[in-house]
Amino acid sequence: MENNAKKWNLEEKEDQESDKVYTPPTPVRADQTKKKRKKQDFWVIIGFLGPALLIYGLYVVYSIAMTFYYSLFEWSGIDNSMVFTGIQNYITLLGDSVFWTSLQNNFLLVAASLLTQLPLGLIMALLLFSPIKGMRFFRSIYFMPFLMSTVAIGILFIYIYDGNFGIVNQILGQLGLESWQRGWLGNEDTAIWAVIATVCWQFAPFYMILFRAAIVGIPEELYEAAEIDGANSRKKFLNITLPLLIPTIITSSILSIIGALKYFDLIYVMTDGGPNNSTELMATYMYEQTFTNFNMGYGSSISFSMFIIALFVTIIIIIFDQRRKGVN
Amino acid sequence: MLKRIRQIPLYVLAILLLLFTGIPFFVMVSTSFKTQIEFMSSPWSLPESLSFENYRLLLESEFFRFFFNSVVVSVISVVAVIVLAAMASYPLARMRFKLNRPLFILFLVGMMIPIHTTLIPIFLLTKNMGLYDTIWALPGPYIAFALPVSIIIFTQFLKDLPKELEESAKMDGCGPFRLFWKILFPLLTPAVATVAIYNFIQIWNEFIFALVLTNSEENATLPLGLREFYGQFSVNVPGIMAALTLGSLPLLLIYLVAQEKIVKGIAAGSVKG
Amino acid sequence: MWKSKVWIMSLVVLFIVSGCANSESTSNGNSEGDGSKTLTLWHIETGNSEVAIEDAVERFESNNEGVNVEVVRQENDPYKTKLSVAMGGGTPPDVFHSWGGGWLEKFVEAGQVKDISENINAEQYLPAALSPAEFDGKNYGAPLAMDIVPVWYNKEMFEELGLEEPETYDELLEIVETLKSNDIVPFSLANQSKWPGSFYYMYFAERFGGPELFNEAYNREGRGFDDEAYVKAGEKIQELAEMEAFPDGFNGMNFDTGQSRQLLYAEQAGMIIQGNWMLGTTRNDMPEFEEKLGFFLFPSIEGGQGSSKDIVGGVSPVFSVAEKSENQELAAELVKELTSKETAQQLANTDGAISAVKDVEYDDEYVAEISSVLEEAEYMQTFYDQTLPPELAEVHLDTTQALFGLSMTPEEAAKEVEEKAKEVLE
Repeated sequence: MENNAKKWNLEEKEDQESDKVYTPPTPVRADQTKKKRKKQDFWVIIGFLGPALLIYGLYVVYSIAMTFYYSLFEWSGIDNSMVFTGIQNYITLLGDSVFWTSLQNNFLLVAASLLTQLPLGLIMALLLFSPIKGMRFFRSIYFMPFLMSTVAIGILFIYIYDGNFGIVNQILGQLGLESWQRGWLGNEDTAIWAVIATVCWQFAPFYMILFRAAIVGIPEELYEAAEIDGANSRKKFLNITLPLLIPTIITSSILSIIGALKYFDLIYVMTDGGPNNSTELMATYMYEQTFTNFNMGYGSSISFSMFIIALFVTIIIIIFDQRRKGVN
Repeated sequence: MLKRIRQIPLYVLAILLLLFTGIPFFVMVSTSFKTQIEFMSSPWSLPESLSFENYRLLLESEFFRFFFNSVVVSVISVVAVIVLAAMASYPLARMRFKLNRPLFILFLVGMMIPIHTTLIPIFLLTKNMGLYDTIWALPGPYIAFALPVSIIIFTQFLKDLPKELEESAKMDGCGPFRLFWKILFPLLTPAVATVAIYNFIQIWNEFIFALVLTNSEENATLPLGLREFYGQFSVNVPGIMAALTLGSLPLLLIYLVAQEKIVKGIAAGSVKG
Repeated sequence: MWKSKVWIMSLVVLFIVSGCANSESTSNGNSEGDGSKTLTLWHIETGNSEVAIEDAVERFESNNEGVNVEVVRQENDPYKTKLSVAMGGGTPPDVFHSWGGGWLEKFVEAGQVKDISENINAEQYLPAALSPAEFDGKNYGAPLAMDIVPVWYNKEMFEELGLEEPETYDELLEIVETLKSNDIVPFSLANQSKWPGSFYYMYFAERFGGPELFNEAYNREGRGFDDEAYVKAGEKIQELAEMEAFPDGFNGMNFDTGQSRQLLYAEQAGMIIQGNWMLGTTRNDMPEFEEKLGFFLFPSIEGGQGSSKDIVGGVSPVFSVAEKSENQELAAELVKELTSKETAQQLANTDGAISAVKDVEYDDEYVAEISSVLEEAEYMQTFYDQTLPPELAEVHLDTTQALFGLSMTPEEAAKEVEEKAKEVLE
């Protein structure tokens, strides 16, 4: 297999990739004008990054800073009496069992997202390249879940999981699995899984388009070379498609993990964190504290903790990715 | 013949996925043609007769204004996101400088802040800029919060382009801005399409910023326009489904167009490369 | 290099200019230069109630020349969030909707609500309706309509099964048994949003502990939220849950989208404990079901201190004036018009609402019957979740939902509420 990979120029491409990443556009007489070039580069960087940084700084960085600032106060959010309490909110948070439940649920969602959304997205993307008639139709329908608004999805799935009229129970009944029938969202043990399944259903198509765009970008010559070598489609997938998709898989993983860590929408519509906080996520708990219980300070400390957790996880992924590149 | 038979499992899988992904959308559309009474008596049955009552109600309301507002906000935001994010990704993906990693991570961290805590700071910011209760209050936060995902996608695509492109352009005496817009950007079409689809859908359906940053009906976007169908204790489900069906049509259109771009863009790119 | 500098500069300029240009175009809403005044009103009424509100605003505008009221109907669900942000950001509407109770009190404590005791005529309103917006003897809001919570049932079904409206809780339990043996869900309940289950807890607690129980616990004098009556209330709820008196998965069902009502309409369930809004909702959902819809009051329990004439209810809407309003007196006038007898009468006639304003006459037989229940009531227990401070209300709702789900013992639930009450109320 390794030999094949070499033949198909895979490794060469990888090499190119890893060193081209940080190569600045090199003028012809690089050595002599190093200083000048550096200065020029500086302005190019500012010119390209500046506008994005400006608007990003104005809204996002500012908001993050304010969130941290608020988290140091006891503050209702609706008046001017802010009492500085230092890290008291964070100490309270560490002893708050609902927060730990929600953190656990968030990690469940992360795991489920990684294990279902990405493979499902990849399968759908690959199917789109298989010789199936009416591809355009399939392509449009596969994308539907991502296109629907969360409100519609929430209401429909509340009914799908309903204990009395729901489709899930009707199907189980048809299969003779009456003992499995239940009100899926009303049961503390099943509610979280029912919601997680819905979230994964909604987002899989997004990864489908990500993978699709990446697969389209794989040069046809690689496959042609492989075919000459008599590789079957399974081999082609394992030796060409999959390795070349790794950067996309990593990107998707980061998006999926972060998305799952700050997820809010469907939980809010479908269960509002219940029953008995069993589907509470960090974001829904933060929302409840901030806007229902008027604890803006405490809510902000939940937000900032979410931020730190997501940052931590992302840095781990990046380091991991760096290592992988180093090994290659 | 053998080939045909081999394809059978493929078709089975494809059709299973079709049902899996398509049925809820179908239910949404079919529910929108029911009356509340029909929905209450049997939520799953097909509509007995097509009731256009919900659509009539929609079109009588300020629906077109909401629609127009949504179009303006979404188009401006998405175009701006594409331009800003693509440009920002260029140095991040293809230049070596000290702050590269930190800046990339800075953009990444923006994805990690739950937007609900940013409501009060951004509300104050919007008010101070004098944009409160105008549709111009919305593109700012939409663009800012869409930048991270978009930059990640663009950066990854840019990294995959061969470096010879730039070198030959430099030889021809091409400046960095022309190099980017004339040579690299056209090759990014699949990424642009992906980013456009993703952000358009997110922004089109966005609710909480629109709720907080606008107030009067004339500045409401589509998701806010749904309030016609929410009562204090009950919800007109078919009405909501009608509004959401109508609202999702432009998204479907955008998706179909952008999907073609993904394919065509690559074809064009490979000729040039 | 020079080129790019210019480029950046122009971008910055563009950014600033576009910001300025936009800010100019915003001031269309609050035109103050020409001597006219604008008031903003936020409400959440729909249908005929919305019309009644708009008519009241029209009367107000014609009585106050040069005053323009910007009426914004908010969606019920995100309304609380929107008002909090507006209050926190210092731009509240001049007049706003609330339900009185602990939620409004938060804003009163934050100094965001004007005391309108001087402006309104307290005599005009039913005392029970005025009290949810009364703090430290001052009125911070005026009520328009009231809600009560009876037990609704399917009259036809009861007749067929030879059942009668129960006088005691034991009789109610017999009804539950009979319905169950006929494969009918006794009580339809959609408890995802937690307040529908809270009705049961409030009724049981009141029937055991008497009308003073809640007030003692709330005012921290005498019995607490861990009183025996509360533990017994939890036990009774769990007794019903263990009997499977509720539909499958009720803790995940949603009243708003109609899941519990459907069971009732489809005659798969016999009873539902819900507010009098059930009437309007049924007329909208399933008009032909109305004739089958009957109601009785939650019966008394043998040995308990509460009577079946004590009812659970609340007030909605209550209108208040924001302290930050620039035209407080005018805003108070608007509140008076919104809660005038005329508005209340229109609301009663067209939407079947029970008036919070005295001397309103009812066209609708049903509504007249419900309102007579209210008049005969010896005590009205206001909804816990609206009366208690929000964070305590949340604990009450969560523990009650857990009681229904059998994931907490009655003692644990009562203890948790009491602990939070000590923290919040003392």
